[in-house]
Amino acid sequence: MKRWAGPLAVLMLCALGAHALTLHFAPAVIMDRAMAALAERGVALHAFTAPQRVTPQTQTVVRSSPDLYYALCRYDLSDPAVRLSVRMGAWPDYQSLAFFDARTDNFATLRGTGRKVAVRLLPPGRAPEQGAIVSPTGRGVILIRRLAPTPARFAAAAEAGNADACQLERVSR
Amino acid sequence: MRQSLRYLGAVVAGSLLGLGSALWLAGLWPQRSTMAFGDVDVGGWRSDFAIGSEAADPYTRARVARHGLLALAKTEAVYFTRATDDTGAPLREACTYILSGGTMPAGWWSVTLYDASSMLPANTDGALSIDAERTGGGAWSAVIAPERPAGEGLWISSRGADTFDLTLRLYMPDVALLADPNTVLTPPIIKRLSCGESGA
Repeated sequence: MKRWAGPLAVLMLCALGAHALTLHFAPAVIMDRAMAALAERGVALHAFTAPQRVTPQTQTVVRSSPDLYYALCRYDLSDPAVRLSVRMGAWPDYQSLAFFDARTDNFATLRGTGRKVAVRLLPPGRAPEQGAIVSPTGRGVILIRRLAPTPARFAAAAEAGNADACQLERVSR
Repeated sequence: MRQSLRYLGAVVAGSLLGLGSALWLAGLWPQRSTMAFGDVDVGGWRSDFAIGSEAADPYTRARVARHGLLALAKTEAVYFTRATDDTGAPLREACTYILSGGTMPAGWWSVTLYDASSMLPANTDGALSIDAERTGGGAWSAVIAPERPAGEGLWISSRGADTFDLTLRLYMPDVALLADPNTVLTPPIIKRLSCGESGA
């Protein structure tokens, strides 16, 4: 029996370690795969991609709502000498500008019902500034949602989307 | 030599056990996919108000990353999911249900049907959700069935879904809802009317 004590302890330690590591890395791995899938499907880096209306045939992200207009922008602020200038055009109904980091955290959301919104996104580690948000991780996704439950409203939301922008800028120091 | 093999076996078995248990408990195991989890349970509709925030526990974070990626934090939207009818039976494409409810404590709401992979089922019916604008104010009801029912009423198509769940989105939720969901929210009820060849 004694000769099994050591292997059993090792088994328990490995189980606990693998359990914790799996949970720790799962969101980042899933987000990484999702961002790669979005890139494959044409979601641009540093630009909002004009979306198709969500249907079973066009869906790219789990649990998307067919009642919402979604515009996505992938970003990469690994270079500390850059920033992102983000604008959400005006829309008379509900709309929001949501920021997600590489670990899937929704670290900021700006609601813009009936108005346009402009904000700068800064690389991780930068000091906070007025009118700016600091990203917790170098990479992430920005998502505009607009309430658009009918084809006509979706077309109007797409028109409003012409005023959206997600632009990388080099910062002079 | 034998003892070395025992240690090697322990490392492999322990790692697999840890990996598998984490995937299972976080809802990442294939076919274990419902989002109907969380510490908030209102009439069988489950939610976790930590979704989208750094406060979410590692199981919630992993599960949401897989089944609710890019979900908003609770101040902007809360998501309730239900995978069973009012008798506790799993929701199935073979059955017809009546979903009914009333006014919701939020600026806008919708109910959407998703299959076991957390995707919209692959049909072309154009009837996968209802929302506050389509139901109007006050009491409402909708049929959930694989075929369009007779009449002009609201319909959510379950065609191609097999087993499914429903997600109730509440955008711009009332502050009172976040503080005391069990008192403030009267969730929709899901009554099973009939089932197809598999009985029940």
